[in-house]
Amino acid sequence: MYADSLPSKPPSPIAPGKVKVEGAAQVRFVLNGTKTVLRDLYQRDPVRLLFPDNPPGELTIGVLTTTSGGLVGGDKINIDVVADPDTQAMIMAQAAEKIYRSTGADCLIDISIQAGDGAWFEWLPQETILHQGARMRRQTRLALNGAARVLAGEFLVFGRHAMGEKMTEGLVRDAWQVSIDGRAVWADAFHMEGELDKRIDHPAGLGGAIGLANAVYAGADAAGQLDWVRELLNSQANVRSAATLVNGVLLVRWLGKDVFSLRKAFAEVWMAFRHRVGGQPQKLSRLWHM
Amino acid sequence: MQRQGPAPARGMITMVTDPDRGLYRLMSWLSPSFPVGAYSYSHGIEFAFEAGDVTDADSLLAWIEGILEFGAGRLDGVLFRCAWQAMASNDEALLAWAIDTADIMRGSREMALENSAQGAAFMETLQKSWHVDGLERLNQLHAQRARPVSYPVVVGAAAGLSGIDQDKALTAYLHGFISNLVSAGVRMIPLGQTAGQQILFALEAAVATAVKNLLAASITDLQANIGSAAVMVDWSSMQHETQYTRIFRS
Repeated sequence: MYADSLPSKPPSPIAPGKVKVEGAAQVRFVLNGTKTVLRDLYQRDPVRLLFPDNPPGELTIGVLTTTSGGLVGGDKINIDVVADPDTQAMIMAQAAEKIYRSTGADCLIDISIQAGDGAWFEWLPQETILHQGARMRRQTRLALNGAARVLAGEFLVFGRHAMGEKMTEGLVRDAWQVSIDGRAVWADAFHMEGELDKRIDHPAGLGGAIGLANAVYAGADAAGQLDWVRELLNSQANVRSAATLVNGVLLVRWLGKDVFSLRKAFAEVWMAFRHRVGGQPQKLSRLWHM
Repeated sequence: MQRQGPAPARGMITMVTDPDRGLYRLMSWLSPSFPVGAYSYSHGIEFAFEAGDVTDADSLLAWIEGILEFGAGRLDGVLFRCAWQAMASNDEALLAWAIDTADIMRGSREMALENSAQGAAFMETLQKSWHVDGLERLNQLHAQRARPVSYPVVVGAAAGLSGIDQDKALTAYLHGFISNLVSAGVRMIPLGQTAGQQILFALEAAVATAVKNLLAASITDLQANIGSAAVMVDWSSMQHETQYTRIFRS
């Protein structure tokens, strides 16, 4: 709060390389009357959750940010979100996340989202930009109870393409698990390690795509959304996209050769979905578009 | 028919090691004539053909090689090995993990169908026609967990129960899987039988490498790293669900 006015400490001798971090955020949304409010919030650097004033008609939004400017091998991030029954909330990323080259250790990111009966929750990412040599293991767990509904996404970009960087080495693991009333119903693990360019360029791998985005929707009304989502996907240009339904979980997947087209396609479906299925405004926060 | 080997202890799974019987069982169970209906699944190749991603022998070979190395070949290979190992070491927790993961880790509805329909057919045929000690226990565990029988898990477990070496069993399983994909491609493109055999020959080393990699890793590492990078295969399979004219179920 008043950090600027505090006497500055003498610079501490920092060992070469970046100090490993263990960031965390724990947040719980509860119902106060008909309004969703924040109850518990714990956060540890470099993870920060900000709660800007909601635009009228919008649900309660938490904005997630990493103040360190990016993560390296050995860093650990834990995020725990509980959305109480009948709450309506969203946590979105403030900006793209960067994962830097690792000297050996993996960067571990664990995300756990629990949603109670009747809750509507959105987990909206921005791109995770993996630098050459990055090693990332991310696990996202969605645990729904009763008639909870969760729309969650992930968005990977392999290399800094604006500067012509290609990922040829490293580890990218992005794993998902969805459970409903304690029973695991769907899981996915994108996993590639070693000569990554061979996977990225392989026709059966990423087919030359530089980015991969997924949206997962779990809720009792998931099956009914497949047809219209597919129709919307069919109209999208410059990306490969498809939707399916496995064990009652709706999965939408995009592959793209440029980040702009991917973002556009991803956001279009997300906005339509939150509006049509969740009764939320058909838009995304200004922060997402910046 | 007299049972060979010691009678299984109650609730336990007994390994019987008999190399000759192992070869006989693998050749029967993974033969194209074993009634799991493998010929009706293309694992998305039917759409990859329509989309122009698989058009000739070279592109079919590359596509299948990718599936083998970092797609279902890897994912189902891990499940197969874990199921085999669970039988060998009487590890019910490991078996439960394989059963659950095989059910839920599916990238499309049709890939889930391919897995569960063949798994159920394999289990049913074994129950009706073969005697494999411990199979009932395996079936019960699926029922207890309310999970469908998955193809790699039931074949891996049956091989383990029969005391068949895992390297041979895995080689036979992956060979059966890719032979079926080659056959689907040969019928679709179409290619001659000679081209099909050339592809199968070209994949010989890749199967050996896949098996070697699966056996070199610890069970813990396999579990921690299970997954797929064959996103285009998943995408093709998802698209196949709405393909207008289709011969294959996947």
